[in-house]
Amino acid sequence: MVIYLKAGGELRAKLQPDVDDCTRRVETEAGVSLRDILAGIGINPAFVAFALKGGDVKRLDYVPAEGDVITLQPPVSGG
Amino acid sequence: MGRERESERYSRQILVPGWNQEKLKRATALIVGLGGLGSASALYLAGAGIGRLRLCDCDKVERSDLNRQVLYEESSIGSFKVEEAGRRLAALNPLVELEKLNVFLDSHTVGELVKGCQVILDGLDNLESRFILNQESFKKRIPYIYGAVHGWLGYAGFFHPPQTGCLACLMQPGLSQPEPVPVFGTVPGMIGLVQATEAIKWIQGIAPSLLGRLLIYDGLHLTFDLVNVDKNPACPLCSKK
Repeated sequence: MVIYLKAGGELRAKLQPDVDDCTRRVETEAGVSLRDILAGIGINPAFVAFALKGGDVKRLDYVPAEGDVITLQPPVSGG
Repeated sequence: MGRERESERYSRQILVPGWNQEKLKRATALIVGLGGLGSASALYLAGAGIGRLRLCDCDKVERSDLNRQVLYEESSIGSFKVEEAGRRLAALNPLVELEKLNVFLDSHTVGELVKGCQVILDGLDNLESRFILNQESFKKRIPYIYGAVHGWLGYAGFFHPPQTGCLACLMQPGLSQPEPVPVFGTVPGMIGLVQATEAIKWIQGIAPSLLGRLLIYDGLHLTFDLVNVDKNPACPLCSKK
């Protein structure tokens, strides 16, 4: 199945977008968690704090469905 | 300061529908970390006339803080932040009682720090301390107003389990944290003011807009996204039986 991952800021370079300047098309098997998908495309999950699908936060144990568009959000630690 | 001068000081904000100055005057807020976030939230909570501000930071002011930590000035360099912050806030509003705690937040000190507070504002600069604060807020049932920044990006949330999830529902420990964090003044300023606004609403009995939600502010594209943060049924903290 195919999903689309988006990222902004410093995560964008790690994502290596190929659809537009912030989106990457990823082919994956069904039933695989976002954490494992990220690891499979060479993104260390420690660089992703959480993800967004629509208006909801998704954790890295989320299992995407066909056609999902998921935005990756980086850890933010400064104050 | 006499009652009349107090009334004059707050005369514009008491015109705001739903405003309750007396509730604000009776409240205690804890601000942990007096950096870019804490500078903004402390100034505006003091200006609004919160009764008591408990300020916690054990660092000294450095020159590299001055681009964003608006409580301080050139002459503050080398002084403890709590002392400089106290001086500035007392000058802004002498009606506010200030507790200045030059204390390092850890699992041993956090219990005393949060005692007696109605709300906790996060001005921290690392994830480990935030998880300690999140845990204590959960244990003591005190709302935790999360804030964090990096570059153009800022997050703010209002966690108050069991009504909402907690920080550990949103993210897990062990995430990458660059050092030093790239930051300039307006982003922590923006997020700190959102935190102060949510604290004022909570204290006055107005439902915080960030209750169970996260604000994602992107200063580069000027976007403000509000997203839902559901409780994580597998959360190691707030879903533990």
